[in-house]
Amino acid sequence: MTFLPRIADGATRLVRLMLLSAVLGLLGLALVEAVAAADPSAVPSPSPSILPDITAEPPSPSAEPADLPSPGASLSVAPQDTCYTCHSAIDNTQHDIAQKWKDSVHGRNGIGCASCHGGDPTSDEVTVAMSKAAGYIGKPDRTTTVGVCGNCHSDVERMRQYQLPTDQLVKYRTSVHGERLFGAQDTRVAICIDCHGVHDVKKASDPTAPVYPLNVPKLCASCHADTKLMEPYDIPTDQFEVYQASVHGKALLINQDMRAPTCASCHGSHGAKPPRSSEVVGVCGKCHTATQTLYEQSRHAKLTVGPKCWTCHGAHDVAQPDESRFFHPKPPEIDCTTCHNPSDRTLILNADRFSKDQDRRCDTCHHQGSILYSQAQGIYGSLDRANAAYQKAEGRIGEAAGAGMIVSDADVTLSQARTSLIRARAAVHTTKLTLVAALADEASAKAAEAQQFADTKLQQSVFRREAMVVVLGFILINILALLLLRRRIDHEDVSA
Amino acid sequence: MTTHPEAGAGGSRISDWFEERLQARALFRALLHVRIPAQARTYYLGGITLFLFGVQVVTGTLLSLYYKPTPETAYDSVKYITSVVEFGWLIRSVHHWAANLMVICLVLHLARIFVQGAYKYPRELTWIVGVGLLAATIGFGFTGYLLPWDQRSFWATTVGTEIAGGVPVIGDALLQLLRGGRDVTDATLSRFFGMHILVLPLMIGAFLVIHLTIVHQLGLANPKRPEARPERASAALNGTVEKLKPFFPHYVLDEVIAWAAMLAVLVVLASVLPAGLEEKANPLETPAHVKPEWYFLSVYQLLKVVPRDVGIMAPMVAIVALGLLPFLDRNPEVRARKRPLALLIGVVAAVMTVGLSVWGYYS
Repeated sequence: MTFLPRIADGATRLVRLMLLSAVLGLLGLALVEAVAAADPSAVPSPSPSILPDITAEPPSPSAEPADLPSPGASLSVAPQDTCYTCHSAIDNTQHDIAQKWKDSVHGRNGIGCASCHGGDPTSDEVTVAMSKAAGYIGKPDRTTTVGVCGNCHSDVERMRQYQLPTDQLVKYRTSVHGERLFGAQDTRVAICIDCHGVHDVKKASDPTAPVYPLNVPKLCASCHADTKLMEPYDIPTDQFEVYQASVHGKALLINQDMRAPTCASCHGSHGAKPPRSSEVVGVCGKCHTATQTLYEQSRHAKLTVGPKCWTCHGAHDVAQPDESRFFHPKPPEIDCTTCHNPSDRTLILNADRFSKDQDRRCDTCHHQGSILYSQAQGIYGSLDRANAAYQKAEGRIGEAAGAGMIVSDADVTLSQARTSLIRARAAVHTTKLTLVAALADEASAKAAEAQQFADTKLQQSVFRREAMVVVLGFILINILALLLLRRRIDHEDVSA
Repeated sequence: MTTHPEAGAGGSRISDWFEERLQARALFRALLHVRIPAQARTYYLGGITLFLFGVQVVTGTLLSLYYKPTPETAYDSVKYITSVVEFGWLIRSVHHWAANLMVICLVLHLARIFVQGAYKYPRELTWIVGVGLLAATIGFGFTGYLLPWDQRSFWATTVGTEIAGGVPVIGDALLQLLRGGRDVTDATLSRFFGMHILVLPLMIGAFLVIHLTIVHQLGLANPKRPEARPERASAALNGTVEKLKPFFPHYVLDEVIAWAAMLAVLVVLASVLPAGLEEKANPLETPAHVKPEWYFLSVYQLLKVVPRDVGIMAPMVAIVALGLLPFLDRNPEVRARKRPLALLIGVVAAVMTVGLSVWGYYS
């Protein structure tokens, strides 16, 4: 019997102890809350999913998945979007913003305001919906904005449904823009919203999007052609003007040829950075694959600091190449030290790029009298002959077509000549005279064959015209005979 | 044939041999030895159109010896005719130019009839059949245009049949009927070829027989004086005797001279501007500027500047009104200067058609 009361006393003490601990714990929490509320600098962090630590290095591939926010945490697909409802009704500015968001790719996919701005889109009470407690951050600053965008767009799980890449933020960190933003805290550089828009973000495949390939040069130029904006960076501002006049610019902007490179094709988009000399062959070769292969067979490619694509073709100002690219109209004055060590005449090759187009010629480096100059002359001569034969054949075919002849046979042969000529011109990148000459001779032979077709057609055309004159003569004689007969009949009528 | 009506009664032994078996001299006499008003001015346009139709029959028959009407072979066969077959280029070019000249001469013939008031009593039926001949000739042009199966012909036919598809109520059915399906395909080529070499020639042949028979029966119209109705015949003539001249050989000889001149024009056009051939038809590659043949350019341009239904219905109403013209214009007067309203309407219609065509060409 004595045993039971003892147990009862022990239990009572244990309960009292627990209650005391709970009270103390609550008091402690209240104290911490009060202190935090009194300190204005201690703003509660909105949502870790909205504001990630973007200045930190990106997580390595082996990082725990738990470090990434869960999909539902920041993608506020609210059943009831009070942000849109209220902001549409505030004033015209807010209405326009709300409408832009609604029409944007985010709006159409239910990515709400809270995804970027935080807050509680389910509450129709402004003090609740836009409270710091609900994670509302207002308009994020430029550095934070990159993190807000990158937070979702680097999330493989979230982006899978849209089939979008997730490396934009990683690439952006490596870009000149990203390096300056995060390294030098330079907020003037381009961030996500400068290219994609703020509330009116569109798909890159939307022709009205600023990042649609046809619009990219103008988009980049909106900053890079701004002398005031570029002044602190001491970089040129004429790239767009120069690009517009280039073969690439004309193809893209005038012919709307989507195969032509935009700024981003060579510099990268999110990872925008000028390609280095060692990278330029690969950059151009991304499109000019066959030419790259030919170049890699050349002596130029084997030199440690040899001429690259841009040495002869330029960069933003790439023009349609032709035979004039071989030599200066008048032999230039050679500065020996451009290529040779002044002391022992060994090759040093200081020329990587020439700013002036007229310097981008073979004889800028290969001076008259040198073996390589003779080789360049040989290559030029083969191509020039092939081109002359091609032009002549083309002219004759044009004449025959102008005379109304069907010249499809000649056209087919001429297109074969053109293919050989293109191959011969491309083979110049190998710097091999024998290869270029063989292809150029093939082009000349085909052009001669095409011209032969055209000449035959022209002879036929001349025959037709001559035959026409004879036939017209016969018809005229007939008409005259009939007129005479008619006159005789009239005469007989009068006599009768 | 002889210039003297009585000379036909006797001839050579061969001629007599045939005459005994055919009894044709009387028929030819009846056909040829008629008299026409001395004031008649036809400008030989109807006869030239008939001549050009004859040229089309001959050259078309020769072309059909080599032409192969399937999408796989049509283009190559036309190319073969033009490039390889001896004088194939000439036959095809003459066919091409004669088709264009036929439309021009037919329209000028119609204009002449309109200005001279020759569609009025008793030639209403001649006019209606003539409008039928015009429609059949345009049908020839439309169906023949597709046959080379090159880019221009394929896409012009696509646009042309699309216009037909816009006709209210029956448009869709008409489009399917013309194309033999939803798109211009081998089925379209087959039925266009069938129409071009069988249906339309039979139709135009029948119309021609009727047209020429009526012309023969009624004779040529006098552009200075309306034809008197039987009850008023004596009053209308007012005692004057109409001056006549022989149809044969006078008029026939003039007509043959005009045909020879037209043949010379054809030879020049075919030699200097031979019929061309574009790239083979490619249904997946629409050329930059698709335009129909020149005689459809006015309708094409009209469709671009007015609402679709109006653009489609206006030419249809116009052609019906043209056919019914003898019943709409009840004025018996035939002299142009006494019919200012009719002439004004005609000139406005002509200027609008030419203006729209030029606009369409340069648009």
